[in-house]
Amino acid sequence: MSRAVRPLSDEELQALLDQCRRDNELHQVTGILFYSHGNIAQLIEGEPEVLEPLFERIARDGRHSHVRKLVQRPIASRSFAQWSMAFHPLEPTGFEALEGFLLPHDVPPTPSSLTIADALLVELVRLAVFGNEPTLAPVEQPA
Amino acid sequence: MQRVPSPYPMPPQHLHAILRRIPAGVATLQGPELRISFVNAAMQAVLGQEAQEGRLLAECASQLPADLREVIRQVYQSGQPFVTKAYGLPAPPTDGEDTGALRYFDLALEPVQAEREEEAVSGLLLFAVDVTAQEEARQQAHQLALETRRLDARLRVLTETVPQITFSVDAQGHYEYVSPQWYYFTGQPPIAAVNAIWPLLIHPDDRLRILYQAEQARRNGTGWSYEYRLRRHDGQYRWMLSRALPELHAPNEPVYWHGALTEVHDQRELAEALRRGEAELRFLADSIPELIWTATTEGFIDYYNRYTTDYSGLTIEELGPTGWVSLLHPTEQAEAARYWVQSIASGQTFEGEYRMRRHDGSYRWHIIRARQLVDERGLRWFGTCTDVQDQHLLHQTLQTQYDELARAHHDLDTFVYAASHDLRQPALNLRGLFEELRRSATFADPDEAHLLAMVDEALGQLDTTLHDLAATVHAQRAQQEPVEILDLALLLEEVLLGLRPQAQLRQAQFEVEVEAAPGLLYSRANLRSVVHNLVSNALKFAHPDRQPLISLRSYLTAAGQPVLEVQDNGLGMNLTNSQAPVFQLFVRQHPTIEGTGVGLYLVQRIVTSQGGHVEVASTVGEGTTFTIYWTQPA
Repeated sequence: MSRAVRPLSDEELQALLDQCRRDNELHQVTGILFYSHGNIAQLIEGEPEVLEPLFERIARDGRHSHVRKLVQRPIASRSFAQWSMAFHPLEPTGFEALEGFLLPHDVPPTPSSLTIADALLVELVRLAVFGNEPTLAPVEQPA
Repeated sequence: MQRVPSPYPMPPQHLHAILRRIPAGVATLQGPELRISFVNAAMQAVLGQEAQEGRLLAECASQLPADLREVIRQVYQSGQPFVTKAYGLPAPPTDGEDTGALRYFDLALEPVQAEREEEAVSGLLLFAVDVTAQEEARQQAHQLALETRRLDARLRVLTETVPQITFSVDAQGHYEYVSPQWYYFTGQPPIAAVNAIWPLLIHPDDRLRILYQAEQARRNGTGWSYEYRLRRHDGQYRWMLSRALPELHAPNEPVYWHGALTEVHDQRELAEALRRGEAELRFLADSIPELIWTATTEGFIDYYNRYTTDYSGLTIEELGPTGWVSLLHPTEQAEAARYWVQSIASGQTFEGEYRMRRHDGSYRWHIIRARQLVDERGLRWFGTCTDVQDQHLLHQTLQTQYDELARAHHDLDTFVYAASHDLRQPALNLRGLFEELRRSATFADPDEAHLLAMVDEALGQLDTTLHDLAATVHAQRAQQEPVEILDLALLLEEVLLGLRPQAQLRQAQFEVEVEAAPGLLYSRANLRSVVHNLVSNALKFAHPDRQPLISLRSYLTAAGQPVLEVQDNGLGMNLTNSQAPVFQLFVRQHPTIEGTGVGLYLVQRIVTSQGGHVEVASTVGEGTTFTIYWTQPA
């Protein structure tokens, strides 16, 4: 989790989305990024040798500060099929069609492949970023 | 000025050409009227453009100050040369405007004498070298010096009035400057040798460290920031923060370090006290045999006490910000996670009973409580998990025992009532028969007549006793008359819970279906007794080769009569066996299985006494179905 140095505009968010999707696809990094009112949270999945330098780069990025790593752990399999980003654009028109973009209330429920502890973490992060929205998806019970 | 006769006399026109071009101003004045006989361009810049050859100086050099004109005249008269440095002249007006700016010249006035020494002066030689740039630079330097002095004075006032001790130290570690505060603080006389005394005033425990660190910083050319104790004038050691930065003269090595010494004793004491306080609290939290944790306002756990790691056998990293949920019983995790998210979102207290996994893999019941509180770091969650395993077990055992006792008590009541009721009829018959016997039979012995009276009296007593007994129980049961509509689902669940040990023993499965008739107006105790007897029979007479499956169904007949059907897949009964009628007292269908033979008799009695009836269908080896037709509602 981190705080944006200043609020990001729609254009900056879209640029971030484009940049991350391009880079992450290249390095086979999947996950999801939440953004709201300067609050940023991101979950990334990938090979450790890719993620470690990536996290270093993210932590050094001048666009945000107060970078906090909540948890880092090995996983048996990925829970996200791609990398996507969820935020409230000021002007939502045109964003819906963007690849990898989600409105916060369209974010699918936490994948059941996550452990409940990890799913809970994602839910808490989502709550911390977007606040208490009635559309909060429930934690799914793993099959 | 010296005149050296040139061995190669230069033609006068060459000399003129050179003089006109040299950057210094040159002019010659002839005769007492000071007529300009030669002037070059550079001198015209001094005297003005009107200064043309052949004109009188007095006519054209109006811009020359009066004192200079006077000096020129005197030089001519006295024949003494005159030299002046950086003489300020107003610059010639540019574009007809007087800028007021001054230009500076080094001026030399040399009297020109005729060949013979004693002759009077015949003219003047005038030299002027423009030194405006130099003069301005000099003046600037002067201004700068003044400003520097002013700044220096200000700096001094500042350094001597701030509460900090300021100092400058050179590369060898010698103090170049120490502000007076040092003397006030240490109480040393102003003549004290700072370099020698300072290290001695540092607390012995800090001295080596500080000297080493300062040395390192000077050697590496870096600044420093460290704390140490310095002895105050009253002998007390006070914590000081020493910070210094090198003065860099690139590319050379730093020559000086300038720094300040701030007293941080009180802050440090406070911080120390806080640290101690926190350490004590942490020690306290760590020594309590209870799981204690705190969470950030977002709900991420940021502290687990040591007992938590001891109990779970997991490290703090393994537990992580949400790892506590993985300690719960798998069937409870999702619900607890949802509840926690809700609590974080709403700020409401989290409280529930959950099973938590111990390091050895066993689960123990805990009450988990978390409340939102405010401390100096803002909103936080404080949580505890209290082990209630023993209480939980005790509670369960007590509940089971209570259920059993209550049932036994009720059964006993019912039995007494039923038995007394049922025995009255034979007793009455006996009495009637005895009456008949007394009337028809005669006894020879009068003592026997007395015996007859005693038998009669005994029979009467028996009847009364039975009647009283029935009346007593009946009075008690009157209190249990139906007063409420019972929630069948709840009641059946209670009964099944009471039978859990037996059910678990046989791994019985229950199917409860009450939607068709969920409520029943009946005495709670009676209903419990009926269901308990039927279900415990079903469990008792389960088929040894298969898992008992017992289904309870509540529904209404077409006539609106409520019905409870209890069906099992047990041993079954032979209903046609006249030796063992189903509902007879003390009659037992399966003598090999332990029992008293009272259960079904009681069921029959209770149901019929309330105006209902019981039907039974059974196949030996397949199972039995009891259908209870409850009281037809009015």
